[in-house]
Amino acid sequence: MATSLVASIKDYRRNIQPDFLFIEPSEMVVTSEMRKVAAMGRRDVSYDSGPFITLMDGPAFPTLWQERQPLLLGHLEGADLVAVSKSDLMDAGEIEKINHTLNDHCRDIIQLSVHSGLGLEEVMKAIVTSD
Amino acid sequence: MKIVTISGVQGSGKTTLIRTLISLLAAQGKRSGVIVNEAGEESYSPDFLETYGLKITQIWGG
Repeated sequence: MATSLVASIKDYRRNIQPDFLFIEPSEMVVTSEMRKVAAMGRRDVSYDSGPFITLMDGPAFPTLWQERQPLLLGHLEGADLVAVSKSDLMDAGEIEKINHTLNDHCRDIIQLSVHSGLGLEEVMKAIVTSD
Repeated sequence: MKIVTISGVQGSGKTTLIRTLISLLAAQGKRSGVIVNEAGEESYSPDFLETYGLKITQIWGG
């Protein structure tokens, strides 16, 4: 996967040159692996890398944390921004529990709801300003 | 070009967020591309691709 991904990144940089290239990795790929891939491509072509954003499925979080914690920790570790998605589907108590759990593992956590627009401004800010 | 990585388990809303961000960035005159390493390419409809002049690359294996 890494080789194909690096080749694709180079292709975009050399031939298409978008302002932003979004990468949606397989769920089994953790953030540290994505950082290595992004760094690998920069040996050969020039581009900015970041931010690395991790989405945590809010409503499914309790079950996921119980059953797939190692994978979720892999997504969290090294993330520039962690967004708890579908936050509009949860009440304040549920959100607080998730934040309490995540606070032990990451710093920048936001509530996100694409449906309501909650958190989009923070995500856009991270994308436009980070490097 | 800046790379933006959106990670998470399947169903966490990655594609939905990326689609939204692409439209917000397009409103600022910014062009985007997408590399998908998951079975989600069909989530970017032909209309969406055409509207934003978007190229999607699918990579298999993760």
